[in-house]
Amino acid sequence: MRDECLPKNINDRGMGKYIVIAGLFLFVFFLSLSTGKYPISVSDIISILTGREVKDIARTVFYILRLPRTIMVIISGIGLSIAGSVYQIIFKNPLASPDIIGVASGANLGAAAAIIFLTGGTLTIAISAFAGGVCAVIVALGLAKLSRERGVVTFVLAGIVIGSIAQGIIMMLKYMADPEKELAALEFWSMGSFASVTADKVFTMLPLFLIGFIGIILLRWKINVLSLSDEEARSLGVNVELTRWAIIIFSTLIVASIICITGLIAFIGLIAPHIARMIRKTNDFSTTILSGFVGAILLGFADCMARSIAGSEIPISILTTFIGAPYLAYLMSRY
Amino acid sequence: MFSKQFSTKLLALFIILSIVVSMVGCTTENSVDSSAQAPAEPAVEEKTEIKITDHLGREIVIREKPERIVSGYYITTSLLIALGLEDKVVGIETGADKRPIYSLAAPQFIDLPNVGSAKNFDLEGCIALEPDLVILPVRLKDVVESLEKLKINVIAVNPENMDLLKESIDMISKVTGTENIGEKLKAYYDFKLSEVKNLIGEESKERVYIGGNSDFLSTATKNMYQTFMVEAAGGINVAADIDDTYWATISYEQLLAYNPDVIIGVPFAAYTKEDILKDERFKTVNAVQKGQVYMMPDAFEAWDSPVPSSILGTMWLTSILYEDKYPYEKFKEDAADFYKEFYGIEINKEDLTK
Repeated sequence: MRDECLPKNINDRGMGKYIVIAGLFLFVFFLSLSTGKYPISVSDIISILTGREVKDIARTVFYILRLPRTIMVIISGIGLSIAGSVYQIIFKNPLASPDIIGVASGANLGAAAAIIFLTGGTLTIAISAFAGGVCAVIVALGLAKLSRERGVVTFVLAGIVIGSIAQGIIMMLKYMADPEKELAALEFWSMGSFASVTADKVFTMLPLFLIGFIGIILLRWKINVLSLSDEEARSLGVNVELTRWAIIIFSTLIVASIICITGLIAFIGLIAPHIARMIRKTNDFSTTILSGFVGAILLGFADCMARSIAGSEIPISILTTFIGAPYLAYLMSRY
Repeated sequence: MFSKQFSTKLLALFIILSIVVSMVGCTTENSVDSSAQAPAEPAVEEKTEIKITDHLGREIVIREKPERIVSGYYITTSLLIALGLEDKVVGIETGADKRPIYSLAAPQFIDLPNVGSAKNFDLEGCIALEPDLVILPVRLKDVVESLEKLKINVIAVNPENMDLLKESIDMISKVTGTENIGEKLKAYYDFKLSEVKNLIGEESKERVYIGGNSDFLSTATKNMYQTFMVEAAGGINVAADIDDTYWATISYEQLLAYNPDVIIGVPFAAYTKEDILKDERFKTVNAVQKGQVYMMPDAFEAWDSPVPSSILGTMWLTSILYEDKYPYEKFKEDAADFYKEFYGIEINKEDLTK
């Protein structure tokens, strides 16, 4: 059973595309390290990494800003895409994205409340956003439990309800906000950005992310089983309800720990799994892992553009939307 | 033919190269000489530390006079011109082309690299300019912290009212060694405010409505600089009953209920004086009936915000409300003198409209 989750018969499908993906991943990683307004060339990076003589300021920019940002982008791409892929599998819905249970709306509400009512900096906003995201999912799960229907549709409906309530409160908060400072901060938060990522923030979110990530990895074969019908899953000895809960909670940890730092990132969690499926032509956990890499590559490119195409930083969701929406249109025309 | 031309070029190149090399040699020699000749005095001056506390409550120690300044806030950018530091500015906020005072007093600012705005500050772009002093608004607290980690001097200011503006002037003039000009600027504000106060006396005050720049029905509320300006100019802000710190949107009916004696449109407003005078819905308003609708000039700076020249906004409004005591021509002269003294420019008095 477990062996099915590992990428078997890779040779049959051709190693080539995986080498291309790995190459692209490394390319994006180094591109991201060397892209930015402060000029750091590839040779500077090599000097920094090998401990050779280089300008002091270049070294600090690299370690304090560039490297944490790049790591955050990679983690976000992987996390959002894996969560998206897992949701698409367990909800048996190709249009499921990481915020289907309301985690994004909840985090948005948490961030909005922090921007308006709390005076702290971005760390306060991040903590509040994380709490908001997790609470929204917990409430949605509770709501789903009220229903007698035990299928996945209940979760989706509960997600819609919680998402709508959160949006309603956000609108109220927006109305209360001071238009220039708070409202602008709020709007910018919901467009997402990696501009303010620093090493401290990455270290703060990393443990939470890892708990979720390792949880999902440990549950990998059960995720495959949940792609079957509930009866079939049960007959294979899987406690469907409990497993579904666990998967949702681990995914929520992944997504909430990311977006509480970056703000909302549109579409990556939706399209990366589709691209991975197109590459592998199956929908199992190996595809989930592959979609993580695809998401990291897409988000890496988008963030390099966000840093470099205009005089100032462009919110990341503007770029991911322009990548994602046409792809969705393409999918629409296929189904 | 060809070879002759070629050899001439080669010779020219050789001469140019030798000149350049000798010049480089000279300059390095000179710099070595000058440092050798004058050892003690400048060294003492360099060691003097300047300590200030900024509006985030951070203590900042500046050891050397800044030579490369980045300002991420239009109020401090304008202040740098007033302090005569425009040649040391290497980067400013977005939207420089929309600030007439830059093209008038420091046209080089238009082409300076921009470091973004308070909404999306370009941290790496700012660092790439290698500044030795960065001035930012307090709401960019995170950027301030990041720059601190990179050991770049940064001052966070919050010039939201006259007192905070004066404090900002103190901080910036102190670290840049331009205290004299800073003191002069502050003394000018105090002098003019007390002059205006004496001028108005105890006369019954006129009720003023301030129309915001995006929408005429957005108005300045109680805790805004505009209210201070109206009160300093001897008026009453009709919307001071709204206890807020930002523009509030009111309804037509509310404006009719306020029934102001004078209506003022702020600089860079999206509407004109005629729009208000011709609007049927406003025709019963006192100010419209008496034709007392004025637009604050926008050929220089937004005087209704706490920019260094905002004192002119108070003076302009005084001459609108009390023209018998402070004639408009006198105001024009005062404004021209202000810009000549602090910005080094001769303004066109025709631009001082009302």
